[in-house]
Amino acid sequence: MESSLFNELSRLLGGSAVSTGDGYEIDGLTPQAVVRPADRLQLSELLRWASSEQVSLLPRGGGTRSGLGNVPRKADVVLDMRVFDRLVDYQPADMTATVEAGMTLSSMQALLAPGGEFVPLESTLAVRSTIGGILSVGSGGPLSHTYGLPREWLIGIGVMTTQGVSTKAGGKVVKNVTGYDLNKLYAGSLGTLGVIVEASFKLLPRDPRAGMLLASFPTVAASIAAGRKLLHSSTAPAGFLCASSGVARWLQDSVNAASQDLGLGDEETALSLSYFSGRDRATKRRMDESAALLMSEGANAVQLIEGDPARGTLRWMTDVPADISLRSNLVMKVSVQSKSAARVSAECGDIAVVGQGPSQLADPGFGSIRLFWPELDDGSSRGSRADRPIMDAIQKIQSIAQQYQGSAVVEQCPLTVKNQIDVWGQPPDSLEVMQAIKKRFDPSDILNPGRFLGGI
Amino acid sequence: MDFKRLLKELQDIVGENNVVYHSDDLLVFEYDGSVDRGMPEAVVFPSSTDEVSRVVKLARRSGVPVVGRGTGTGLSGGAISPPGGIQVAFPRMNHILEVDTDNRMAVVEPGVINLHLDTRVRKDGLRYAPDPSSQKACSLGGNVAENSGGPHCLAYGTTTNHVLGMEVVLEDGSIVNLGSLARETTGYDLRGVFTGSEGTFGIATKIAVRLLPVPEAIRTFLGIFPDVESACTAVSAVIEHGIVPAALEMIDALTIQAVQNVSDAGYPDDAGAVLLIELEGLQDEVDEIGKEVEAALWDTGATQVRTAEEAAEREQLWVGRNGALGALGSIAPNYFLVDGVVPRTQLARVLGQVAEVSKKYDIPIANVFHAGDGNLHPCLLFDERQPGTLEKITEAGTEVLKVCVDAGGTLTGEHGVGLEKKEQMPLVYSEDDMSAMLSVREAFAPANSLNPGKIFPDGTKPVPHAHPAAPGITI
Repeated sequence: MESSLFNELSRLLGGSAVSTGDGYEIDGLTPQAVVRPADRLQLSELLRWASSEQVSLLPRGGGTRSGLGNVPRKADVVLDMRVFDRLVDYQPADMTATVEAGMTLSSMQALLAPGGEFVPLESTLAVRSTIGGILSVGSGGPLSHTYGLPREWLIGIGVMTTQGVSTKAGGKVVKNVTGYDLNKLYAGSLGTLGVIVEASFKLLPRDPRAGMLLASFPTVAASIAAGRKLLHSSTAPAGFLCASSGVARWLQDSVNAASQDLGLGDEETALSLSYFSGRDRATKRRMDESAALLMSEGANAVQLIEGDPARGTLRWMTDVPADISLRSNLVMKVSVQSKSAARVSAECGDIAVVGQGPSQLADPGFGSIRLFWPELDDGSSRGSRADRPIMDAIQKIQSIAQQYQGSAVVEQCPLTVKNQIDVWGQPPDSLEVMQAIKKRFDPSDILNPGRFLGGI
Repeated sequence: MDFKRLLKELQDIVGENNVVYHSDDLLVFEYDGSVDRGMPEAVVFPSSTDEVSRVVKLARRSGVPVVGRGTGTGLSGGAISPPGGIQVAFPRMNHILEVDTDNRMAVVEPGVINLHLDTRVRKDGLRYAPDPSSQKACSLGGNVAENSGGPHCLAYGTTTNHVLGMEVVLEDGSIVNLGSLARETTGYDLRGVFTGSEGTFGIATKIAVRLLPVPEAIRTFLGIFPDVESACTAVSAVIEHGIVPAALEMIDALTIQAVQNVSDAGYPDDAGAVLLIELEGLQDEVDEIGKEVEAALWDTGATQVRTAEEAAEREQLWVGRNGALGALGSIAPNYFLVDGVVPRTQLARVLGQVAEVSKKYDIPIANVFHAGDGNLHPCLLFDERQPGTLEKITEAGTEVLKVCVDAGGTLTGEHGVGLEKKEQMPLVYSEDDMSAMLSVREAFAPANSLNPGKIFPDGTKPVPHAHPAAPGITI
């Protein structure tokens, strides 16, 4: 049924820009409409109108992370930003590029490839994930150890304020301290402060050579310990991930390379993946020395993959959290100091939900650990009866993270549980400043209301 | 509150000897590395976060503005006191609190000198990457306030890319933590937006920074070129090879002349530009990429190329670059340094326009700059004793900034806006852009009592004072 809000939006933007919210449910809430403003003028009008009418807007890119965050207080209208997908500027010799926020990461990389460059952003499902969405979430991927988060590469941003005013911060130069660095504020703000319309990035040259070492270990703990040694060696990889047996089994199904004998048949086998890229000789030396180190640190076997298969496996490493989440009941991401990764992984590994411990994907260089508790076949993990053990597990993981001065975010859980918790965990002591910022940027509380931490 | 009572209360907090208020003693706190001056009413030296908090609280209650001051090396007037203000300086909060080699992280107090931290962690095979040229003297608290850069920021990023977390005192005296010791944290990235806020959001009292491993091999290349244009072509050629050097620096003919006036850096008299390139990484990388760099230098018209890998020899190649600013004193007693940034591809064209400004105003301009990231440092050379010179310099400086902005660049790459460039902010940002920035300041510091009068235009024209060119001054 078409609501009055739907009709009003149709009058504002034209009928073709508005459709029903079917299929766009967020945490059980069906928005009254999905809108696709044709241009910045319409976007501006939409925001001004929404602010004055107190209509909530949920900006959306490819929808790959739309489950992240708390249950929204209100979910009136989904704002589909994919119309804004132009390349604004690319100068290979400047090693910078500006794109509109709705462009997908794959499209952007494809545009940069002829210039021999890439943007060091990482995201699951890069063919769907948009630049605006990646910036809003603000997270990295398997190479975070080297590339850090999107914040490191964002040099300029164009944002439409909740009052419909076009603003910018930063610029197109790689070094800039002119005014406050609002780039950092918008990156990772989950679309709660303004609508990102375009963004400029520093780029890197593409490396001619890539390689991956797959190493099997008796336990996750052993693979993390070896990883820490490797990451502190002079021939450290660009990224290093440890996968517990549950995750490693996915690899067997997903990557051809794994059909070769790695001893993965063993239930207790953990797997480490080390990714290397760079110039020919240096990359070869890194891989040779790293393979030797992994063996001497207790690997059962080490296998080398090179070139496109290695890049393919990197893509798998990037996408696997999304794949496993589909079969998971509870997914959490713990962020701690890198040196604590081994202990935190061990302690979290003991936290069971109805007798099932989590599968793990740990990045001991960056200090993040993803935990996946599987869906139970008998359905006992569904329904309110099952909430208590899940809530207990969340609480335990969050207290482990806190004990190590880190944080733990619930990335996915049953809605009945989500309704009772703050998925971001205990808010930091700077929450008041964050709330004050939100209040000034979004006085009518229309953007993603309630989805961010501490009720923001 | 009358001033005497304020002094007494400040002394009660930090101790009698840790408050400076006699006009003679205050003289050294009147200026920083810029052309601006402002006499504070008092300078306070706290020894702990708690003391900073109490000082700030007291100042707030008394309606007195507070400026955090590092070591006063800033080049944009960021540490200059507003009328009636007090400065909080950190010579007593200069401790490296923790070096965690396993986690490659250090926690420091704001008064720690940049180079002291770097020297300390080198023992463990680590380093602190941001290296402002004033790193022998500048403090990490000041680096955070200004988001300082340096030659090696080309490959490693500026201060903001290396700060993990901070403890800060806000204007009401409350103490909050921003960021964390983990690399990813929840909530808005307040640590990121605080870095570079030029002391207007709060005062950092503890800073956690990332440390990087010292590379296996470092090789420095010095290329002598007949002119700046060919040296700029070399920069492009290197970048086109898919090479991101650790540092890529250039000095022009006038600077070369100044350097040679002071001591023989081995530059030929007719050299038009000197390009310095530093590569870091595995020996294999440095060897492979080094060959390409050397070829690129010859191909683009270098008349000489020197290389070095040993530390002492590398330092020799850097001598001319590092001493450049001080050497300008041999040409003119004063300089005014502009910190504009342009896209790399615009370097040669913009330098040409800078030369036109030089001609138009009849002011010699020497260029010493971070060519790799397009961060120019045109130095306008003058003698303050000549009447009317300062006004002319300010005007020419603004024109240089306009040239940078018109080329797609910006006002400042690493020195900050401060007092010096606040009236030029509208060249880059609209009212709406600045209003969004001010909203963040209102959230951190609603009363605007921390370092007020900086960054944003308010119609007050700073009165420039000449800064003497002297050996030992660096950018």
